[in-house]
Amino acid sequence: MVNQVIKVKNLRKYYKVHQKEPGLIGSIKSFFSRKYYDVKAVENVSFTIDEGELIGFIGPNGAGKTTTLKVLSGLLYPTSGDVSVLGYEPFKRQSEFQKQFSLVMGQKNQLWWDLPPWESFILNKEIYEIPEEQFKKTVEELSRMLEITDILKIQVRKLSLGQRMKAELVAALLHNPKVLFLDEPTIGLDVLAQKKMRDFIKEYNLKFNATIILTSHYMGDVRELCNRVIIIDKGQILYDGLLDDIVQKFAPYKVIKADLEKEVDEKKLSGVGEVKEYRDLQVIIHVPKDEASKKAAKLLGKFPVADLTIEDPPIEDIIRTVFSKGMDI
Amino acid sequence: MNKYLAVFKINWENALVYRLNFSLWRVRSVLQLLLVYFIWFSVFQSQQRIFGYDQSSILTYILIAALVRAIVLSSRVMDVANVINEGSVANFFLKPISFIGYYFIRDLSDKLLNISFVIFELALILFLLKPSILIQKNLSILALFLLAVFLGLFLFFIISFIVGLMSFWVENSWGLFFLMYIFLETFGGGIFPIDILPSPYSQIFLIAPFPYLLYFPAKIYLGTLAVPELVKGFFILSFWIIVLYFLMVKLYRAGIRQYSAVGH
Repeated sequence: MVNQVIKVKNLRKYYKVHQKEPGLIGSIKSFFSRKYYDVKAVENVSFTIDEGELIGFIGPNGAGKTTTLKVLSGLLYPTSGDVSVLGYEPFKRQSEFQKQFSLVMGQKNQLWWDLPPWESFILNKEIYEIPEEQFKKTVEELSRMLEITDILKIQVRKLSLGQRMKAELVAALLHNPKVLFLDEPTIGLDVLAQKKMRDFIKEYNLKFNATIILTSHYMGDVRELCNRVIIIDKGQILYDGLLDDIVQKFAPYKVIKADLEKEVDEKKLSGVGEVKEYRDLQVIIHVPKDEASKKAAKLLGKFPVADLTIEDPPIEDIIRTVFSKGMDI
Repeated sequence: MNKYLAVFKINWENALVYRLNFSLWRVRSVLQLLLVYFIWFSVFQSQQRIFGYDQSSILTYILIAALVRAIVLSSRVMDVANVINEGSVANFFLKPISFIGYYFIRDLSDKLLNISFVIFELALILFLLKPSILIQKNLSILALFLLAVFLGLFLFFIISFIVGLMSFWVENSWGLFFLMYIFLETFGGGIFPIDILPSPYSQIFLIAPFPYLLYFPAKIYLGTLAVPELVKGFFILSFWIIVLYFLMVKLYRAGIRQYSAVGH
């Protein structure tokens, strides 16, 4: 039977924040008496994750992704609900638990800025009580996978952002965590570095059977890495399931792309469906999903078509639809 | 290698990266010492005895206070406020290492580095200025002196850690540090011995924790404190250490609770 590594049931996390009216008068008022109100960062969230899964958390800013990860890592107490990671309650912060997971936040760092990454690695080795042999093997293996073997003895401040993020990742993985939370691991990286990072995460997941939750703004990260996604907005889960199924279930339309042999009137094309683009003899038309083949046939029959494909819309568009409309699962 | 030994080591490595910065910091403390030294030196040009001190005992006091300063005081704990404010305190809640222990070790590490430099600087001053100073040869007095320095080191760590912990509640605790340093400079005894103040004032100040950081150990070294004064001093010093230690632990727990409720 597959091991359920992460169990979250009816998790709620509310913050109290104080409100300030604009202007100096407002500032003075709020100095003497503050009005507090609850921000519902996470509102009744439940899910379970099996060992070795690589899950994508998707959602706009402030959706509750990072808050959920912080609760799972024990940084925040839940307001209510049950949370269990590897059988531990994270916020008890037991060291046996801490030695088995890692949280990497793209915008936070742990490396010593003025020293080479190697020195920070040694410090982590001692903090996590990693045996010498294992430490050497892990550093070697991870730096080879990330291609940073040659920069381990250069001051961190002199590294590029990409190199630094990779070194941060190595530092976070030295103790071979079974569970890994990655919050925006590719933020600010160029396309090439993003690709390297993704390849690494995938390889790490397979090689060590590590359970990974990843949040990202880049759909590319999620599409390439995760089979299962959890879509979260305003603190609630909108969707939890396979990425492919979202497309199957929620793509409201199909995309027909056709190359024409000669110029035709755009107005006539719009009889087929919604013309999104028409340029250089290439036309892109959106048609209702269940009428796709009928519409394609119509296009082939009425117009001088050289080539034609029917595709699903881009995943970004579907997600956007999900966020704007909401959905019932 | 133990984890705290590793912290000790990396702290040294880090301090030595910036040679210029480090040297300037040392220059600053030498200048500060010379300033106080020459003020007192010139005061004694016209008089033999002031406030019950003669020239040699006051100059000894100033030089010993400078040595004690290097051991007892430190600025590392000021980082605590920053670390809490910018949120990297999270690293300590994620890893199997104690936040307080980590900073205490970094503090010790800084001190050891400082002491080695201060001894060299003091030797240089003694060699160049040749002041007539008092060499304490009584071993039991020297032992009490070391004990007072050691306790003072704990006391200062606890006080400054408490101020740093305030960052869990106030967004900018720089003002608090500033206030602490004013108290420290005025009532710590680094510039003048507290007992030159008129009696009711000096007696009141001696109840506060600050004189036990510099004044008390330097005064012990001079060997002029009577046994009852020594007993009373060590009693007050231990009292503050115990009370403030419990306050620190309580505040730390409350701080974590606050952090875990709100996050940063």
